[in-house]
Amino acid sequence: MTDVDYVDAGEAIDQSRLSGKIAGGEVAPPVVQNLTYERILEARSEPENWLTYYGAYDGQRYSPLDQINTENVKRIGPAWVFQAGTSGIIAGASTYSFEAAPIVVDGIMFLSGWDGWVWALDAKTGTEIWRYKHAIPFDVSLCCGNVNRGVAVAKGKVFFVTANAHVIALDATTGKRVWDRTNGDVRAGESATVAPLVVKNLVIVGSAGGEFGVRGHLDAFDVDSGEHQWRCYTVPKPGEPGSQTWPADGEAWARGGANCWLTGTFDPETNLLYVGTGNPAPDFDGAVREGDNLHTDSIIAVDVDAGQIRWHYQCTPHDVWDYDSIAECILFEKDGRKLLGHFDKNGYFFVLDRTNGERVSITPFVDRITWGAITRDGQVTPKVYPDEEGVPVHFYPGPAGAKEWTHAAYSPKTELFYVPVQDVGATATRRRREFKESIPYWGAGVQVDIEEAVGYVSAFDANGEEKWRWRNELPMCASVLATGGDLVFAGEPSGEFNAFDARTGELLWQFQCGSGHHSSPTTYSVDGRQYIAVPVGWGGWAEGFLPGMLGAGHGSALIVFALPGSDS
Amino acid sequence: MATVQEREILLEKIGLGAQNKAALGRVLNTGNIGQATERAGGLMQATIRIRPDEICWDPSILVLPHGGDLELELINDDLNTHCALLPSNGDRKFIWLVNHSRGRATLNLDGPGYYWFSSPTGNDEGRGLTGTIVVLGDVPPEARLDRPDQPRP
Repeated sequence: MTDVDYVDAGEAIDQSRLSGKIAGGEVAPPVVQNLTYERILEARSEPENWLTYYGAYDGQRYSPLDQINTENVKRIGPAWVFQAGTSGIIAGASTYSFEAAPIVVDGIMFLSGWDGWVWALDAKTGTEIWRYKHAIPFDVSLCCGNVNRGVAVAKGKVFFVTANAHVIALDATTGKRVWDRTNGDVRAGESATVAPLVVKNLVIVGSAGGEFGVRGHLDAFDVDSGEHQWRCYTVPKPGEPGSQTWPADGEAWARGGANCWLTGTFDPETNLLYVGTGNPAPDFDGAVREGDNLHTDSIIAVDVDAGQIRWHYQCTPHDVWDYDSIAECILFEKDGRKLLGHFDKNGYFFVLDRTNGERVSITPFVDRITWGAITRDGQVTPKVYPDEEGVPVHFYPGPAGAKEWTHAAYSPKTELFYVPVQDVGATATRRRREFKESIPYWGAGVQVDIEEAVGYVSAFDANGEEKWRWRNELPMCASVLATGGDLVFAGEPSGEFNAFDARTGELLWQFQCGSGHHSSPTTYSVDGRQYIAVPVGWGGWAEGFLPGMLGAGHGSALIVFALPGSDS
Repeated sequence: MATVQEREILLEKIGLGAQNKAALGRVLNTGNIGQATERAGGLMQATIRIRPDEICWDPSILVLPHGGDLELELINDDLNTHCALLPSNGDRKFIWLVNHSRGRATLNLDGPGYYWFSSPTGNDEGRGLTGTIVVLGDVPPEARLDRPDQPRP
């Protein structure tokens, strides 16, 4: 048989061309073209939009929108659903999760999924406008599932990271790649999951891979060109400030962790980024890294122009419980002071002066804390920890923390913080292992409790006084959203999406979404109608925060709620 | 435990490398390994075929020397229709491969790491038409950690 006999199959085409799009419908209006740093600074003055990861630089996850309120929330229902679906084989096929915070600009939604997906959707109808799919290696090192927490937008571009540690800029109208930079070494076990933050003309991203013995870093790239601007390592080299907190001999510092795998917050007046850092490595074997291990488990304040740490506050010195301090630093003012609030995995709520890192208050926010204690003056006393080889040690909170990465919210209207709490313990048995690049470097076997795992949404004032609590039979593992309608939204692992009265904690509305929540809901409005958007797709590091739900089904839907059309 | 040399003999003896013998389909990862060639300038080229009744990509493991662009020729010599869904940065590439057809795909992939590709029709993927593209190499020097060289497995 000769070549002439073959049928010409032509050239392979983009799969998205086979998705029912109408010709010309794959281009989004240029809503991001004039989205400048100045507009993001004033994000809350555009309540119809959700312009940046936390809604505004202050990390409050609060929207002034109040069309949906305590009186009418019981009437909201699904306005549309975007079913991302999954096909073929993906990295972490059993652990992927839909974790993003949808961004909305003037009626267009920008959303990331797992495994390199980014979509532009019509925020009013849910119609897909364009999609981008980055090819993710099937064998990339992932501690906690194939996940991504969202995109950033500015100056005509959409920015996101990939699991194989690339930072990518897309044209916001077409979804085509504008620039692509490699920001980590996948052979060293690095990856990326963070939603970028645009500040000034910088795209700022942190690294992931703290379970693989990497050296954490925060990086900035030029918005326009993608040129690398600065890198801030979170573990000092020998001789640098903080290096005395690592063993003088050996290379523990070089494998020290402290990854910034969550988005930071920013205060233009201090010109500082407030970023939480991750666990030291190995997570549970502290004997190979004696000392406090700066800047692991710390809040670091980074000069956004210089990329240098100006001050730090370490929440868990010499951590051996996997208590990353990656959680958001919520910026707020009280009695004329510029403060930040931070709910740490170790179970304590830290309030610091954000101009200098001075401690203001420390309060426990979960019932069961046995790993140790932190006094109000900041003295840390470890009590139980896995220091003997082969000896199991049980402690509260477990390694996913009293609050995992999922975010708290703060309402300037009620002056209350709303925090999703996981009251779960775990047993760690130290098992020393030799370090090798790209192989998990935990130093222990860990089993998180299935029994007696409970949770709640709690409201705290800035003094750490709990004002109300809504109890759940399961830990609360999704970000909270606060609105000007005096509502707090929070999803449950079992699929329910809840609305609470922000002042009393009364459950006002509930909808079963069909899969557990592990994402960050946002709110926006189009043509005068308010929407609440929540990605739903259970997964991620469920064996860490809720092993009792490891058998639950995975979802992949974005569900958007609104009042009936006639009401809005 | 079989040695590497015994692998092919055992696959044949047990009937793992063909349809409807030991199992219903051909067990994945029982096909050949091939390497892409490289032109001056770094563009890579390779051909992948589906041979008659073998329900397997040939090669089923395609090795690229580094990340970048790959020009791929796809040939379906089989007596049944298949297709190909291929990884590429930007969007996955899709092509129908009717009986005895030949097509092309241009892929862009990062390295290092490996990627899957398949024929997403019927249950081709489970019966044998799932393959792997392996990209060798390292990340660019500027993306590596500032630390002394560390031990690797």
